[in-house]
Amino acid sequence: MSVCIHIEHLSKTFTKDKRSITALGDFSLDISDGEFVCLLGPSGCGKTTALRIVAGLEKGTYGTVQVHGKKVSSAGPGRGMVFQEFALFPWRTVRKNIEFGLEMKGVPEQERVRISSKFIELVGLKGFEDSPPSELSGGMKQRVGIARALANEPEVLLMDEPFGALDAQTRNLMQKELLRIWAATGKTILFVTHSVDEAVFLADKIVVMTARPGKVREIIPVELQRPRDRTSREFIAVRGKVLTELDEEFEIAQARERSKE
Amino acid sequence: MVKVKTALRRAFLDNWKFLLLSAASLAAFLLFWSLYAAWLRADWPFHGTPSPSAEYVPYPWVVLGALIGSFTTPDPATRLLMTDHILASLKRMFLGFLLAFGLALPLGLLMGRSRSVEAVSSPIVELFRPIPPLAWVPIFMVVFAFTTGPILIVFLGIFFPVLLNVRLGAKSVDPLLIDAARTLGAKGHQIFTSVIFPSTIPHMMTGIKVGLGIGWMCIVAAEMLGAVGGGVGYYIFATSQYGRYDLMFAGMVVIGILSVLTTGVAGLIERWVYRWMGMK
Repeated sequence: MSVCIHIEHLSKTFTKDKRSITALGDFSLDISDGEFVCLLGPSGCGKTTALRIVAGLEKGTYGTVQVHGKKVSSAGPGRGMVFQEFALFPWRTVRKNIEFGLEMKGVPEQERVRISSKFIELVGLKGFEDSPPSELSGGMKQRVGIARALANEPEVLLMDEPFGALDAQTRNLMQKELLRIWAATGKTILFVTHSVDEAVFLADKIVVMTARPGKVREIIPVELQRPRDRTSREFIAVRGKVLTELDEEFEIAQARERSKE
Repeated sequence: MVKVKTALRRAFLDNWKFLLLSAASLAAFLLFWSLYAAWLRADWPFHGTPSPSAEYVPYPWVVLGALIGSFTTPDPATRLLMTDHILASLKRMFLGFLLAFGLALPLGLLMGRSRSVEAVSSPIVELFRPIPPLAWVPIFMVVFAFTTGPILIVFLGIFFPVLLNVRLGAKSVDPLLIDAARTLGAKGHQIFTSVIFPSTIPHMMTGIKVGLGIGWMCIVAAEMLGAVGGGVGYYIFATSQYGRYDLMFAGMVVIGILSVLTTGVAGLIERWVYRWMGMK
């Protein structure tokens, strides 16, 4: 498998109130084509920052991000993004939200309708094409978010805690739906979450990050058969291993907070 | 089922009650007006000597008669029909509105999104904004004469509410929507037309509604100093100079109705735009 996303020595320092905060420090990661990778870490470890830099919404202070060998310098349709808060355009219907990227590219209307219909079908939104986002439930809103990102045929799909705003039942359903969509499209997915359970359920490999400044602490491959059973002994074993790693990082972050005071 | 029925009946009664109370309030107002006019004239049910102020306060039905008559009989001051006055005022409102909207919309969007445009224009805007549009009436009438003067006063009345609301709207665009548009491939000008502008429309409509109300206040005062081709504000002033207070009050009623109608039309457009945009 060839390398899709190549992140090398990435670091990011913010300046806020005349204090500089290093969110990311020397973060390196390779993701293969078609892989499903979860970024997991204590809150404030810079996982969302890393994702936003890969998207091109922010720039790293040092280091490089490449997608299929091309350096990422600004946001573009090659890297689709799904947001925790959905970020749907409230004045556009479901279909028009999904067609947004195609409109920006200047795709003719007939072609747009053909493509959007395909993705409406894929994410299970048939019958809701003409609804405004305000009439949709959270889970359906995120289906629109996923379809909208996929309609651009991006090289990678970046997801920033996409199910974080959903209730537990919907969340579990959406995880299964995402795996189905992933299997159907074969996209490379980089998925940020703080839920260990979610990461073990979804990922091919889990990247556990260190406390701030975030770098890769450990990459844990999840070699369980899909569909995964959350109650199986193997699942619980992987979950335990990830939790142990994460707990240690959490302790370190806590200790650092305390020593600062 | 029974519950639904009683609820429906209650809502129906509530609507009727609402209408009834509104009508009663209006009737009470007309009654007090009539009584006051009667008292000034020492008409029934009052006695004594009539007040000299009686001529300033005609009976409501006299005003209504004057209003109806003004559409068929030219007024003594300008020899024009009420329809001419209404059209003249509407034309000024329309031109003033177009000018104000055409300038305030792009400027407001740019001020809300660009620090340098904001830096250049806000001192000027903040300098002129607190000046009431009517303070400009004397100088505008001298410099721009009676044809363009009233239009420019209306322009000032509408310009600032639209500008400030659009600027606020452009500033409060959800940054996440801009992020989303960028990851979907939108470039600078596309973000402006496809994200920032539509996000601003609700604020823009508020600005238009506020501006129209102020515009009507401005046009009456501006026309009072004189207006070529008539105008309802001019009509109010000129008929009062002729001592025709019945016509004067009729002109005031017309202004009130015009203001309510234009704001109502703006409200309809607002709802239509929201539906078109898929919002509630």
